[in-house]
Amino acid sequence: MGKSELKITGIKILKFVIILLVVDFCLGSISNQIFINQKTGKFHRSTYSIYEAKEDILIFGSSHAHRHYVPDVIEKELSKTCYNAGAEGQQLLYHTALQKMILKRTQPKLLVLNIDENFLYKSSKAYDRLSDLHPYYEDFKHELRPILGLNSNLIDFKLFFKSYQTNSTLIHALRYYLSPQIDYKGYRPLDDKMTPKKAAIHEKNHSEKEFIEEIDDYFVKALKDFISEAKRNNVKLLFVTSPNLIERNISNNESLNRIKEIADSEEIPFLDFLNAPKYTNQFELFHDPSHLNDDGSRLFTTEIAHFISVNIKI
Amino acid sequence: MLFNSIDFLIFLPIVFSLYWLLYKNLKIQNILLLISSYLFYGWWDYRFLALIAASTVVDYFVGLQIFKSNNKSTKKKWFLLSILFNLGLLGFFKYYNFFIESWVNSIATLGFSIENTWTLNIILPVGISFYTFQTLSYSIDIYKDKLTPTNNFIGFAAFVSFFPQLVAGPIERASNLLPQILKNRAFSYKILSSGIKLIIWGFFLKLVVADRAAIYVNAVYNNVESHDGLSFIAATVLFSFQIYGDFAGYSLIAIGVAKMFGLNLMTNFKRPYFAASISEFWSRWHISLSTWFKDYVYIPLGGNRVKKPRWMFNLFVTFLISGLWHGANWTFVIWGALNGLYLIIEAIIFKNKRTGLIHIIITFVLINLAWIFFRANTLDNAYYIINKIFTSPGHLYIGSGDDITASIYATIAIIMLLLVEAKKEFFDSLFSISKNKFEFVRLLGYAILIFIILYLGVFGESQFIYFQF
Repeated sequence: MGKSELKITGIKILKFVIILLVVDFCLGSISNQIFINQKTGKFHRSTYSIYEAKEDILIFGSSHAHRHYVPDVIEKELSKTCYNAGAEGQQLLYHTALQKMILKRTQPKLLVLNIDENFLYKSSKAYDRLSDLHPYYEDFKHELRPILGLNSNLIDFKLFFKSYQTNSTLIHALRYYLSPQIDYKGYRPLDDKMTPKKAAIHEKNHSEKEFIEEIDDYFVKALKDFISEAKRNNVKLLFVTSPNLIERNISNNESLNRIKEIADSEEIPFLDFLNAPKYTNQFELFHDPSHLNDDGSRLFTTEIAHFISVNIKI
Repeated sequence: MLFNSIDFLIFLPIVFSLYWLLYKNLKIQNILLLISSYLFYGWWDYRFLALIAASTVVDYFVGLQIFKSNNKSTKKKWFLLSILFNLGLLGFFKYYNFFIESWVNSIATLGFSIENTWTLNIILPVGISFYTFQTLSYSIDIYKDKLTPTNNFIGFAAFVSFFPQLVAGPIERASNLLPQILKNRAFSYKILSSGIKLIIWGFFLKLVVADRAAIYVNAVYNNVESHDGLSFIAATVLFSFQIYGDFAGYSLIAIGVAKMFGLNLMTNFKRPYFAASISEFWSRWHISLSTWFKDYVYIPLGGNRVKKPRWMFNLFVTFLISGLWHGANWTFVIWGALNGLYLIIEAIIFKNKRTGLIHIIITFVLINLAWIFFRANTLDNAYYIINKIFTSPGHLYIGSGDDITASIYATIAIIMLLLVEAKKEFFDSLFSISKNKFEFVRLLGYAILIFIILYLGVFGESQFIYFQF
């Protein structure tokens, strides 16, 4: 192996690395601008929550939060501003990360976390979906590193590349640019009404579980972090479970029981609507067996607002 | 260790640097290759290293004994030892439970009740089908006087366990790889550059084409009762590119990594979906396995130099075994049988070589029909899917949430792949990025390809499909 061969190799590698970095910087920056400047859609909502939201009350949670909490109702009932930062399919790790990023900039008066009863159960999808946070890594390394690091080794190295930060977000941006996804302060109403027949079909077609019924210690830690971060910033917390169309036996749900224990020990108010009789079998209030339609959501949000006005001083 | 993992990203430069630092001492260089290969494999499950080590030791000594023996029957005994040992390993780890369960089920279908207490909790060692076939070919070639065994144990062990192709091929012949391992290699920028180019394209195939397509394919094939014919057609076409991207991607990365180490592996895929007949498809798809079966099963059975019925039988049996090699499941057996049947029909109907778009499309459709058996989780699912395709087109599932964008990215990636391959297949002399005379164009082309991988790829460190075989 001659020295000249090594020298040639070194120079060529250097040239390639420089070109690669320039390409990554240029195309990655364009992609990042497209991402940040979205006006509607889930990424717009998370970007707004992280960089702009200054509302008094923020709602956190998965699709049950996103679809069940009507900020206009809360604002009217409590005379406080509200934004729904719920994100479909996202679980505790995401919400904890989102909370940390928001609290770095602003201190809302109240955070409402809508709890899914299976939040603490092991779910690989909960980790996979953390990639939604990649575009914010450059601005929130300290907050995101511990959480994104759970799903991926050498996260600093991977997210060094601008193109990876906004991996596969272009179609999403184009889609909502061409066909804007309307939301009302983060809330998107569902319009359908359930019938017993529809419920039966739904039950048959949606049997795939996204979790294993074992407690994930990282999710427990995320929930505890969520609570301690809020306390550290003097932000009040309220935990809520959303109603279901069909009554279910949840007494043996270890995840929910554990969440209740934690809420109890940390003195966090916990409103449990899971099998609330007011909603059970009320087909006209539901879009599908676990999601309220707009009528149901308005009723549900009103109840939450009443509870807040009576029990939580904000 | 997976190619598409951060671990490998750290492992490769370290081994590569050490390897070329030691270029003056072939023996130490090969020891490094051996240690690296065992580390690479042991990253999954170190317990199975003993199997590779045993396979290496047995075939090394058997090879020497076959060569030394003057007596034909002694030669044969040593040869049979190698066959029994390698096929025994494969049979036990891969097929034991399958045959027991199949036997119990067949007894049950005859109306007898039998309690199955013989199945065992066996973990299939990664890549066992690949390295046992590689070592088998070594013994067979020596027995048939086509190869002289090596006395260099380290070199032989490095050949058996050579990490780039250890777990999913290409299945190398000793006559190609072993002499290269036993000879001094020289570093040059050219080998490094051509290796890296192959690796980049391999990653595009795996991370962008295969893993994007997999999202839609899994959503449909893992929940068959919720889907209709159109969705099955879309999922099957996407699967054909998923398996191609996955496997050809792995092969290219393996060939590229080997090139970086100054070693040339055989080409494993040659644009298979441009084949105009099934026989041409099999000369372009998983070439290292196809030629293995041709040399060690089909030709020993008599090949095509026999009467026509026997020739048909030979074809069918070869593909039946090939199907079984792919997995201990009846879905793979039917897939193999279907391909065998295609070849028989082709041999009966067509006398001349076919070309043209119509034949390419017909071949693609037939191959896709067979892929249904390959991908379906059970035989019942496969029949259900085929039935739905022909009787109930229904509506096309376009996915929900991120599934939708995954399908669009997969489609974009497949179009890119087809454009590149069509250009190579039909207009190779036209403009080329990889062979462009301007260095800047070449470097820029590959930098943009890396951008596409980083921007569109799936980085969940997913397994390669062929690891299970």
